[in-house]
Amino acid sequence: MESVRHYAHQEVTQESPLNPKQETEPEKGSQRKKKKTYVPGLLLLLPILLFIFGFFVVPMLYILYLSFIYTDSPTATNAVFSLKNYMLFFSDSYYLSSLWITVKVSLYTVLVSLLLGYPVALTMAKSSPRVRGYIALLIAAPLLVSIVVRNFGWYLLLLPNGTINSVLASLGIIDSPLKLLFSEIGVIIGLSNAYLPFMILAIATSLYNIDPSLERASAILGASPLRSFFSVTLPLSLPGIVSGCVLVFSMSMSAYVTPALMGGANVPMMPVVAYDQINNLLRWTFGSALSYVLLATTMIMVTVFTRGFEKSKFREVFR
Amino acid sequence: MQAIKNAVRNDVEIRNVIKKFGSTTVLNGIDLEVRQGELLTLLGPSGCGKTTTLNLIAGFLEADEGDVYIKGKNVTHIPPYKRDLGMVFQTYSLFPHMTIYENLDFGLKLRKVAKADKERRIDSALHLVKMSGLEHRYPRELSGGQRQRVAIARALVVEPELLLLDEPLSNLDAKLRHELRVEIKRLQKEIGVTTIFVTHDQEEALSLSDRVVVMNGGKIEQISSPTTIYNHPETEFVFQFIGKSNCFHGTVTATDSQKISVQLEDGWGTFVDADNVMGADRTCRTGDQVKLYIRPEKLFITPSDQAQPGPFHKATITQMNYLGASWEIDVALIGKPVQILTPMYDASWQIGKEVMIGWNPSDIMLIKK
Repeated sequence: MESVRHYAHQEVTQESPLNPKQETEPEKGSQRKKKKTYVPGLLLLLPILLFIFGFFVVPMLYILYLSFIYTDSPTATNAVFSLKNYMLFFSDSYYLSSLWITVKVSLYTVLVSLLLGYPVALTMAKSSPRVRGYIALLIAAPLLVSIVVRNFGWYLLLLPNGTINSVLASLGIIDSPLKLLFSEIGVIIGLSNAYLPFMILAIATSLYNIDPSLERASAILGASPLRSFFSVTLPLSLPGIVSGCVLVFSMSMSAYVTPALMGGANVPMMPVVAYDQINNLLRWTFGSALSYVLLATTMIMVTVFTRGFEKSKFREVFR
Repeated sequence: MQAIKNAVRNDVEIRNVIKKFGSTTVLNGIDLEVRQGELLTLLGPSGCGKTTTLNLIAGFLEADEGDVYIKGKNVTHIPPYKRDLGMVFQTYSLFPHMTIYENLDFGLKLRKVAKADKERRIDSALHLVKMSGLEHRYPRELSGGQRQRVAIARALVVEPELLLLDEPLSNLDAKLRHELRVEIKRLQKEIGVTTIFVTHDQEEALSLSDRVVVMNGGKIEQISSPTTIYNHPETEFVFQFIGKSNCFHGTVTATDSQKISVQLEDGWGTFVDADNVMGADRTCRTGDQVKLYIRPEKLFITPSDQAQPGPFHKATITQMNYLGASWEIDVALIGKPVQILTPMYDASWQIGKEVMIGWNPSDIMLIKK
C-alpha cells in the first residue's frame, strides 16, 4: 500500500499538463537530434521502463483487480468479482466523510501554502542570483529533516501545554488551550509546512520566466507597483501557481505520516483509513478500493482545475 | 500656440547628472536638453551610459546627483508611473496575456478615458502603425515587426509627454529594421511628439535624428545634427565611432586663418582646413604633432598615368572587395594601409597595380596628439 500511496501523486503529476516550459524544452532538443539519439535513447530508457512496468504498472493493475474482489471476511474463501467494495464505500457515511475531510484538508493546505509561499517566491524573483540561492537553500533545508522528526517538533509547539498555548494563555488571550494538535488545523499546519517548498519553487520558476521589461512597460503606462502586480505579474505567474497547487494538492491527498501523527483518529484522512483497513483489519480488497477512490478523486479534481485554467480568459498564459 | 512653444521650450532638461552603480560611475556629469518636437538620438558603444540616461528620464533609475526636468517640472524623484511617458522596449514587451486591443487599452484604462473616445484612439493608433484589424490577436500570433508596431501604438495611444525608444529595432532583421526606421521617422514627424531614441547603430542614428548625442564612458562627446556629427566631428572618438576612418601622423609646419600645412611622417605634405581641427580648444600651432583622419569615401582614386591637380600620391592596390553599390579598395600608401570606398571602377585596377589617390583639404580632420 505504501507504494501505491507514493506513486499515486507521481502519476497524477506526470499526466497533468503542468509547467508547459518544462515539457516543451526536452521535446525541442529531441527533435533537433532526433536521428542521432532516437534508437540509443530508447535503449537507455529501457531499464527504467521495465522497472516502472514491473514495480508500478503491474502492482497498480493488481490492486485495481483486488478492489473488485469481495469477501465477507479476510479469511473467507468465497471471493466474488463485484462492485461491492465500491458500493460499501459510497453507502457508508464514515468513508464518505473521510474522503470529504481529505479533500477539505488538502484544499486548505493548498490555500495556506499558496498565501505563505507566493510572497517568498516573489522575493526570490526580485533578488540577485546570489540572494536567490541563499533563500532556496533555506527553503529546502527543512526537507533534510525526516518528516516524522518534524511532526514531533510540532508536538512541542501545538500540544495543549505546548509553547503556543502556554504563550497565548500567559498573555491572557485564551482561557483554555486551543485544540491545535489531533485536529484538522494540526494536519493543515503540518502539511503546509512540509509542502511549502514545492509551492514556492513552482511559483518562483514561473516568476523567473517573466520578462522584467513587462513590469517597466506597465509602470511607464501609468500603473502603480500594486496595479502592475495584479495586472501583469500575477496573471503571468498563473502557470506556476497552478503547478504548485496541483503538486501540493496531490501530495496532501496522498499524505500518510502527517495526518496519522498530527491528526490521529480525529482526522481520518483516506490514506490513514486505507492503511488501517489493510494492515489492521486485513481487508485488502476494501483497502484497494479505497486507494482507487482516492486516486480517481485526485485525478478528476486536478484535471478539472488545470483544464479550467486552460480554458479561462487566462488561457494565453498557458501556451 | 504650438509655434510659440517650439521656439522656447526644452521638453527635457538634464542638469549635471551623476549616476553610480556600486563603485562604477556610469554617468559622469551629464547635461542635456531635448527640444520640443525633435527626435534626439543617444548613440554610443555599450556601456557608454545611453541606456542609463534613458532610464533616468523614464524614472526607472534615480540620479545620485543632479536633476531631471520634463516639461519644466523637476521629476528627479518622481516614479515612472507618474511621469506620463510612452516607451518602446527592445524586447517589444507586449503583455502576452492580453489581446492587442487590451494592450493598447491598458494605459487608457489607467487614465480613465471614456469608452467612445478610447475606441477611437485605439483605432487611430493602430491605423497609424498599419496594424488595423488585428485588435483581437494575441502578441504570440504576431511577427516581430508587427509586435514592435503594436508596441509603438501602445506607447503613442496614451498621448505621452515624451516618447522613449530603447533600441526598438535591434531584435529585427535588417530589412524590417530599415522599414520600421522609416516608419518611426514618419510617425514622429506626423505626431510631433518629442522623442528620445537610444541606439548603438550609427546608421540608425544618422538617418533618424534631428540631433545626435554621441556618448562615451559616461560623458557626452558631441551633440550635433547628423551631418555635422559625420562631417565635422569634434572629438577623435566621434570620428572613429561614426563611420570608417584612415589615420595619418604628421607635424604642423605652418598655420593661417584658412589653412594648416602638415608635413606627414613620410615626407610629403597636405593642407587641412582651419575649421577642421578637432579636440577641446580646436586650435593648433606650428610644430604640433598631429593625427589626420579621412573617411574612405572622401578619398579619390584614379589610374596612375593620369596627371591630376592637387595633392595626389602614388599607392599600390593590395585588396579589392566588391560590395555591390561600391568597391572597397585597400591600398598601400608609402607602406601604410589605407582604405578607399568608391562607386567607380576602372578595369585597369588590379591587385599590385599602382594608382593615384588624392583628397580635398576640407575633408581631412586634424587633432593634436
